[in-house]
Amino acid sequence: MDQSISSAALTPQPVAFTDRIKSIDAIRGVALLGILMMNIPGFGINWDFWYAVTHGQRPGRDFETFRIIMVFFEGTMRGLFSMLFGAGMVLFMLNKKEAPGGTTVAEYYYRRLLWLVLFGLINAYILLWQGDILFYYGLCGMLLFPFRKLSPKWLVCIALLCVSFAMVKKQWGYNEMRQPRLNYNEAMAAKKEKKELTSEQQGAIAKWTERERNDNKPPDTTFTNRNLRKMHSGYGTIFNYFIPINVGNEVGYMYGDPWDMLCMMFLGMALFGWGYFSNKVRTSTYVMGLLLGYGIGIPVAWVLVQTGWIESISLGFGNYLDTYTSGHWIFAEFRRIPITIGHASLVMLIFRSNLVPWLMKALSNVGQMAFTNYLMQSIICTWFFYGYGFDFYNKLRFHELYYVVFSVWIFQLIFSSIWLRYFLFGPFEWLWRSLTYWRLQPMRKP
Amino acid sequence: MSNIFNTPGAGTEQPITPHHIAAPGQPSLFSLDVLRGIGLLGLLFVSSWEFGGLSTSQQNLFYYGTHGGNYKLFTIVSVLFEGKMLALLSLVFGAGIIAFMQKKHPTTLATHDAYIRRQLWLMAFGVFNAFILVWPSDILFPFGVLGVLLFGFWRLKTRGLLIAALVCTLIYTGKQYWNYADDKKDYKKFLAVKDVEKKFKQDSTTRAKKDSTDRIKDTVLLKDVLVKNKIADSLAKKNDTLTKKQAEEKGKWKGMIKAMKYDSAQVKAENKAMRSKKYTDVSYHAMSRSQDKESFWLYRKGIWEIAALMFLGMALYTIGFFNKRYAASRYIGIGVLLIIAGLAFSWYRISFNNARLPDYTTYIDKHALPYDQWQIVENMTMALGYASLVIGLLHTRLLHWLWMAMAATGKLALTNYTMQTIICSFFFYGYGFGYFGRMSQWQLYFMMLEIIMVQVIFSVLWLRYYAQGPLEWLWGCLIYRKWLPNKKIITTHQAS
Repeated sequence: MDQSISSAALTPQPVAFTDRIKSIDAIRGVALLGILMMNIPGFGINWDFWYAVTHGQRPGRDFETFRIIMVFFEGTMRGLFSMLFGAGMVLFMLNKKEAPGGTTVAEYYYRRLLWLVLFGLINAYILLWQGDILFYYGLCGMLLFPFRKLSPKWLVCIALLCVSFAMVKKQWGYNEMRQPRLNYNEAMAAKKEKKELTSEQQGAIAKWTERERNDNKPPDTTFTNRNLRKMHSGYGTIFNYFIPINVGNEVGYMYGDPWDMLCMMFLGMALFGWGYFSNKVRTSTYVMGLLLGYGIGIPVAWVLVQTGWIESISLGFGNYLDTYTSGHWIFAEFRRIPITIGHASLVMLIFRSNLVPWLMKALSNVGQMAFTNYLMQSIICTWFFYGYGFDFYNKLRFHELYYVVFSVWIFQLIFSSIWLRYFLFGPFEWLWRSLTYWRLQPMRKP
Repeated sequence: MSNIFNTPGAGTEQPITPHHIAAPGQPSLFSLDVLRGIGLLGLLFVSSWEFGGLSTSQQNLFYYGTHGGNYKLFTIVSVLFEGKMLALLSLVFGAGIIAFMQKKHPTTLATHDAYIRRQLWLMAFGVFNAFILVWPSDILFPFGVLGVLLFGFWRLKTRGLLIAALVCTLIYTGKQYWNYADDKKDYKKFLAVKDVEKKFKQDSTTRAKKDSTDRIKDTVLLKDVLVKNKIADSLAKKNDTLTKKQAEEKGKWKGMIKAMKYDSAQVKAENKAMRSKKYTDVSYHAMSRSQDKESFWLYRKGIWEIAALMFLGMALYTIGFFNKRYAASRYIGIGVLLIIAGLAFSWYRISFNNARLPDYTTYIDKHALPYDQWQIVENMTMALGYASLVIGLLHTRLLHWLWMAMAATGKLALTNYTMQTIICSFFFYGYGFGYFGRMSQWQLYFMMLEIIMVQVIFSVLWLRYYAQGPLEWLWGCLIYRKWLPNKKIITTHQAS
């Protein structure tokens, strides 16, 4: 590999420091910090304790924290991140000139993504973060490539196509889930009329009764405790425990639901094409984006969380299936896309208004080192929570987790600013670039 | 005939398509076409098991039995074809990657764009083949995925490619071993549970006690549930039942042993489902298998298995193996040696499988390695042996007509592969003639021979009038997003 690449001195080069678009870095910084809000429960508590949060004391601090996160942020930070990933893809391809006869930019692009996939695997299997996204982004990026020259209008169409495809798929899943309940209802109606039940109808009743009994049960404590014990153990135990989980996640999301990521990436490419992230749009457009985004997104989010989640718990699963022909979560994109655009507009407006230049500077430093900071979140949080580190796993209450989030935020804001005073890139960015171009990249600031 | 071994990109004259007009994406090496044709047709014998309803359960029955004709026939096909044809196709696909990237394409679309679009459309064809035409073991989708993943590697030097192939092989064999080690662990746990059951009273009581005290230590939030759990536990102690964990461990091993036995109920259910008259029922039934193949199989095994062979194919291409690197006798010699080596690996697999299937418990006690530990090496050596033998024979000018026919079949690979699905699904599945599970092994192979004949004749005839197969043409149109000509232009070249 070394001969083939280093032979050409004219090969495409990484983006120079001065060329960076500051506003994009600022949004990426927000997304990067925000994503920890969504990830922290995954690091810090066992999934079975969602049950305690959603069924627990209301109103309580845990419950309110949960509701705020769900309404305002759930999915949107990942959404912002995906959008900027799409935009970054276009940037990477645009910024470089082809060297005739040498390795093409396209090849660097694919090598870069292959390394990203590998980093994702390391993040999931070695650093032990089961919520890793790098793996998926690397693979999704490979699918985006042929679409890089499309006009924003078409990109939006493709994004909407992804959304509709995902919705159809989810609706199908919902129908499958609902069928046993409908069969049960039919059989029960027949029973009420004192008709002789067929064996199929009896089966339908038995099947649903069994299902409902399992659904109403709180999580199995034997199972939960076994897992908790594992999380409080050493590296080897957690490593083994995570292997099947990681396999399931990576296959399940990549194959089953890449639409969630792809639609946001396509949207990001479109918005980038319109100059939305590069501070090239009129202020009124950003205001419009903010108002429309939050105006549509937040009410929808409220309905989805309040009736779709919280009230459906008291409704019971069977009644939920009777009441609704579509699950609430099927419409999640109607909440996520507007709110994500709202967030992006808000950041752009603050950026443009120059209200808090120091904060924007700090955020764009974080965004410029997004890859490093993302991996650093894994490293910090796994060491803080897991048994081989400080062993805080499942010892904090849900709302207390967010104290950890604030601490990490402050640390990353300061660390990124100091680091970038002396170096051109974050350490992992430097490694990634060096691997992509298969040559050591300059690191110190001149 | 020596002019059929052109160097890539330089060749204009080819015996099959003398005028060689823009055939998007078809690597122009004759030997690659021949090998692709052979792989494609040979694959049918292996596919016939799944198409025809000769399930793994029934295949295992051959191993249990008296090792009569059915066993012998099955073993022969397994040794000669199973995994080898896929390996051969992967070798050719790998070589084709470099051939495609080096070739000058007569369009304005950049080569890398054409290449990536080609792979994405291949994935789309694969999804269509798997879900709409109903072929769960489709390989177009995995090949498309691998084509995208391997794009960044095509400029590597021979050494780098060989290292990549080796790494993939090691990962694959490592995983085979690892799975076996997991089985061993499960077996040990099963034995431990057995011991517990023997001296139940003391043992299970202390365990249950430990479990419940640990629970108190760990739990923060679920206190009320905990009390209930404790009561349940003390009940379990009194009744001397296994703890949940122990029961799981026991059940896991028992389930695995059971899955290796012949299960007539399962076979019956499968036959019934696949013989359903309604297309929607059959396709819905097969859907989960297709999904599993495209996701879990690909992630866990397929990627490494196929990538190893593709890298090898790329490496061989860079040294001119598919051209005329060696003398014919050398090719044939290498081929024979490799096939003999491959047969040795096959012998290992078959004989160890014979020990494993009837009694896995004893096997796991006595053997350090799983029966399929070297399967990828077996596939690799055999496929490479076949390739070498065929290239050698191409040089000797023996059996010229046969290679021409194979090349024609290989040129229409996508068309022929899809056609195999269409023919077999209509012949075997319920919405067609419904022969699923109704034919003996002999009959299945006979049927496949007929399909092979049809495909060869079709391919040769088609290429008399057209430059490309119908699906290859469609593929090109999709890649370049315009209608391409497909009529064959008769030129004076044809005489050669």
